[in-house]
Amino acid sequence: MSANDILDVLNISRDDSKQPAKKKQKINAEPAPRQTGMARELYNLLGPNTPPVNITNLSTVSRKDNVKFKVSPWTKMPFNPNKTKKDGHEVILNHWVKGSKELLEQDEKDKPYFFDKFDVKLDIPELVDEDTFDTYMEEIREHQKKIKEERKQREKEKKEQEAKDRERREKEKQKLQEQKNSNNSTNSSDNKSNQETDNAEEKKKESNGELSSSSNTSKNEEITGNASPSKVKVSEVEANEEKETTDAEKDEEKPAEEEEEDEEEDEEYLKEPWTYEETQYLFDLCSGLELKWPIIYDRYNYGTDRSAEDLREQFYSICLKILDSQETKNPALIDSLRAYSKYRELDRKQYLENLLKRTPAEIAEEESLVIEARRFEMAAKKMLLERSHLLSLLDSPQSTQQVQQYLSSQGITNLYNHLMILDKNQKKRQAQQSKSQVSNQEPVPPPIPIAASSSFKKDKSFQTHLQQYLAGVLKQNQNANPGVKQEANAIQQLLMKRLTQKEEEAYGLFFHGTEKLTPGVTLRSTQKLPGLQQKQSVLKSVNQVFQELDIPTAGGTSWKPVMPTRKSMAAYDDLLKSVVALLELKKGKDKLESEIKLIKSQRGLQ
Amino acid sequence: MSTNNNSNNVYGGDEINAIVLDPGSYHTRLGYAGDDFPKVIVSSNYGIHEDDKSNKKKLFGESINVPRSNFDIKPIMKDSLIVDWDAATEQYSHYFKSILNIDFNEQPILITEPVWTDNKYRQKFVETFYETFSFPALYLAKAPTCVSFEQGRPNCLVVDLGHDSVSVTPVIDGICLLKNSMKTNYGGRFLDDQIKDFVKSKENLKVEPTYKIKTKVPTLYPDEESKFDLKTLPTDITESFEEFQQNKIWHEFKETVLEVPDRKLNSSNGQQAASLREFYSQSNYKRLFEFPTGQSLELGVERFELAESIFDPQVYKFKDESLSARYPANSGELSIKSKYDDYRPLKRVRKAESNQSTPQPGATGGEDDQSQPSQPDSKSSSSVEIRGLTQLISHTLSSIDIDLRASVAHNIIVTGGVSLIPQLTERLYNELSNSNPGLKIRLHAVGNSSERVNQAWIGGSVLASLGTFHQMWVSKEEYEEAGPERILNQRFR
Repeated sequence: MSANDILDVLNISRDDSKQPAKKKQKINAEPAPRQTGMARELYNLLGPNTPPVNITNLSTVSRKDNVKFKVSPWTKMPFNPNKTKKDGHEVILNHWVKGSKELLEQDEKDKPYFFDKFDVKLDIPELVDEDTFDTYMEEIREHQKKIKEERKQREKEKKEQEAKDRERREKEKQKLQEQKNSNNSTNSSDNKSNQETDNAEEKKKESNGELSSSSNTSKNEEITGNASPSKVKVSEVEANEEKETTDAEKDEEKPAEEEEEDEEEDEEYLKEPWTYEETQYLFDLCSGLELKWPIIYDRYNYGTDRSAEDLREQFYSICLKILDSQETKNPALIDSLRAYSKYRELDRKQYLENLLKRTPAEIAEEESLVIEARRFEMAAKKMLLERSHLLSLLDSPQSTQQVQQYLSSQGITNLYNHLMILDKNQKKRQAQQSKSQVSNQEPVPPPIPIAASSSFKKDKSFQTHLQQYLAGVLKQNQNANPGVKQEANAIQQLLMKRLTQKEEEAYGLFFHGTEKLTPGVTLRSTQKLPGLQQKQSVLKSVNQVFQELDIPTAGGTSWKPVMPTRKSMAAYDDLLKSVVALLELKKGKDKLESEIKLIKSQRGLQ
Repeated sequence: MSTNNNSNNVYGGDEINAIVLDPGSYHTRLGYAGDDFPKVIVSSNYGIHEDDKSNKKKLFGESINVPRSNFDIKPIMKDSLIVDWDAATEQYSHYFKSILNIDFNEQPILITEPVWTDNKYRQKFVETFYETFSFPALYLAKAPTCVSFEQGRPNCLVVDLGHDSVSVTPVIDGICLLKNSMKTNYGGRFLDDQIKDFVKSKENLKVEPTYKIKTKVPTLYPDEESKFDLKTLPTDITESFEEFQQNKIWHEFKETVLEVPDRKLNSSNGQQAASLREFYSQSNYKRLFEFPTGQSLELGVERFELAESIFDPQVYKFKDESLSARYPANSGELSIKSKYDDYRPLKRVRKAESNQSTPQPGATGGEDDQSQPSQPDSKSSSSVEIRGLTQLISHTLSSIDIDLRASVAHNIIVTGGVSLIPQLTERLYNELSNSNPGLKIRLHAVGNSSERVNQAWIGGSVLASLGTFHQMWVSKEEYEEAGPERILNQRFR
C-alpha cells in the first residue's frame, strides 16, 4: 500500500510527468527513514508530501563536490603568425589555447600557425630578363599587326561591299524612278505593268552584273529578287525612298569615322609601347593582388594611360610567351591564354553596356517576348510528347537480347510478366508525367522509339504468344540444323494455317488472352477460382446453398468440382458467381421488405 | 589543440583581443576586436583649458561639455582625417592608458582610415603610432572594407553618409576601388549648417544652448514670447565652446525632425512640385521642435526641404554668407570630388555615355521623366556638376567595370548616421532603380541605428579577430625594414 494506491482510491490524479522524478528521489532517500525506524507502510503514506528540500540529500551534494572534474587548462599563449614564412617578421600576439602551458610550448615549436594554410599564393610566371622580353614584345607586336591587318582587310572588304551595295541601290532607285514614270503613263492593265517590271528586273540584273565583281553577283541577285515584289507597289517605294537616301548618307559618314578611329588606335598604340619596367610593374601588381583585375586596374599607376583590357592583354601575351618557352607545358592553360582577345572583350563589354542601357519599356517588352517564346516552346514540346505517345502505341517493344533465355515455358511466362510490368510502369509514368505537367514542369518528350518508324513490321503483334513462340522455335531450328528443315516445315505449315475451334479443343490448346498467369506449372485442381474472391460471410452462405443443392465443394475450404476440367471449372465458377448474385439479391429484397414493413407500421397501416 | 582547431574550422576566428580604433569626423570609436560594440565612443573634438598660469590642459570626452572660463573646443578630425596630431595622440593615449588600461605589448591595433587619404598622411599616421605607442603591430584598414566585412559582402558598394563627408566606395573582394570612389561634403555638417541658417533667419526665436538654461516654460514660437531663465555661469566662456554647444541643437534638430520626401521637391514640373509641397504641408506631416529655451517651432514642409538637400544639394539657399562660405564653391554650386577622379581620362568617356543613357538621375516618378532632363543641365552648365546622393551613386555605378556592375548594384550598403533620416533609403532605392533600369538594385541598411553609426568599427572588430588576418599585421621592425612606400601600398591596401 503506497501513497499512489491511496490517491487512486480517492480519485486524485497526479502529474504524470512529475512521477518518475519523485520516485527516484524516494529511492535515493529510502535508506535514511529506515534508520529512523519508521514503519514502511507509514513511510509510504508520506508519498508526494515529502518536504521540498531533502535534508538527507546533503550528503549526495557533498559527494558531487567530491567528484573531481579535472579542470581543463587554458593557457594564454604567445604566437607568431609569420613563423613559417621565409621573409616573415616576428609579430608576437597572444591568444588563449586549450591545454597546459608545458605541453603547448612543446607543441608550439614544430607546429606551423594554424591559419597558415589559408595563405595561398597564385602561381604566376616570373618575368623574363630584358632581352628575351624585347624579343617577345617584337613577336607580339608582329602578331598584333597581323591581326590588325586582318581586321582591317575584313573591314575594308565589308566597306567595299557596302559601297557596292549602296551604288547598286542608287541605280535601282533611278530605275524605279523611270519605271514609275512609265507606269504612270501606261497604267491600263495589270499584265502590261507586270511585263514591264519583269523587263526592268532583267535590265537591272544586267546592270548589276556590270557593277559588281564576279564574287558577289549571286548575292546581288538575291537582293534584287527580294526587292522585286516591292517594285510593283510603286507608291510605297516612293515614300520609302527619302528614308533610304538619308540612310545611305549616314552610311557614308560612318566609315569615315571608323577609319579615323582606327588611325587613332594605331597612334595610341605606337605612342605608348610597353617598356620592360612597366611590364615588371604590372607583373608585380598581378602577383601582389592575386590577379584580381578590377583591383589591379584600380591600383595601376605607372603614369601611362592604359585601359583594363590593355593590362590584361599585355599580361596574357607575355605569360603566353613565357609558358610557351618552358619545357613543361600546360596546353590547356596556354590555349586559354591565347583565347583572350582585347577587341572581343571590348565588344563584349559594349554589348553588356548596351544591355544595361535599355529603358524599362524595352526591358518589359523583351520579357514579354521571352515569355511568349517559352510558351511556344512548351506547346511544341507538348505536341512532340503527344506524338511520341501515339507512336509508342503503334509500336511493340523489340527485343535486343538473346532469344535463348525465353525458349523454355518458364522463360516465356517470365517474359510475359516482365512485359506486363513494363506496360504498367509506363502507364504509371505517363500518369505521373501528366500530373507533373500540371505542376508546371517542363515536359520532356521521350525519345521516339526506333520501332515506331513506319517501316517496322508489326504483323507479329497479331499472332498469339504461343504462335510467336513456336514460330521462333522453328526459325531457330531452321537456322540450327537444316537437316530437320523438312519436318519443321510440316509443323510450321500446320501452325500457320489457323486451327479451327474444334481442332484447338482436340489438341487441348487454349489461349489465355489477357488473363494473368502465375509463373511455373500449376495443377488446375489447386487453381483459385475468380468467383471465390468474396467475403468470408458470403462464402459461408454460398456453402450452405451448395450443400442444399447437393453440389460437392470437395470438402473443407477448397472449392472445386470433383473433376476439375477446364469446362467444369468454368461452369463451377459461373455457378459460384450466380449464387453469390442470388444471395445478394435476396439480401436486398429482405432489406427492402423489412423497410416497407417498418414504414407501414409507422404510418399505422397495419 | 584539436578541439580548438575544430572550432576554428567553423568560424575561422582566432581571438587576440586586438584594439580597434575608428576615428570619424564626429565620433571616435575605440574598443577590443571580437566585441560587437566599441567600448568607447567619444566626440572627435577636444577642449583646451588655459588656467591663470597659462598652463594648457586638454580635456576629452564628456568633460568638454562643462562650461569653464577660457575653455576652447577644437576639432581633432576633419573629413575623417586628423588635423590636430598632438590632440589626437593625446586623446588616444588618454583612452588607451587611463580608460581601457591597455598593456600595449599584449595586442596589436587596427585603425580604420577613409579612402581619400594620401600616402603622406598615412605615413605620418603610421609613424606617429609606432613612435607614440608601443603596440607590437598595427594595420590600417579602409573603412569601406570594414563595412563590407561587417555585412559579410566581399563585393559591394559602400555608401557612407557621415558627418563631414558623403562617400561612395566600391569594394571588390574586400578591397576598395580608389579610382571609382566618390566623396562630397554634403553630409551631416552640411545639414547642420542649413538648419542653423534656417533657424537663425527666424526673428524672435531665441537660441541658447542647453547648458545656459536654468528654467524654461514651453511656448509656441511665433505667437508667444519665450519664457526662460539663464544660469549664472563663469565668465569668459569662449566662442568656440558656445558654438560647439549650439551645434548640438542643430544636431538634435536634424536627428529628430528631418524626413526625406518621397520625390524630388524641386521638380521642373511646377505644378507637380506645388502639389507635392502642398501634400507635405498637410497637418499630419507637421512636427514641433522644442528648443532649449522652451520655444517650440512648428515645421511642415520645411522638414522635407532641409532633408531634400542630401539628394539635391542646391535646393537650400544659404541666407548667411559666412555659412555658405564653409562649403568651398561659394556660388552655391558646391562639389568636391575625390582626387582620384583626376587621372581617369578613359572613365570620362564612359561617364558621358552613361549620363545619356540613364534618365537624368533624380528623376523620381515615371511621369516626370520627360520634363526632367533639361533642368539640372541648365544649372550645372556653368562649371562643376553638383551631385546629390543618387547622382553620386549612379556615377560610381556607371564608372566601374561592366562585369562588376550587376553584383555591386545588388549589394549597396548604406551606412553612417545621416542615413538614419527617415525615408532616406526608400527614396534612394526608388531613384536608383529608376535611373538604372537595367540593374537590379538592392540596398542593405542595418536596422539597428547604433550599429549603423558604428558599422566601420564593428567591421574592423570582425576583421581583427579573424585567424587568417593575423598574418597581415605589420610590426615596427618590418615597417622600418621594408620602407613606408612598400608597406603602405602593398600591405595596407
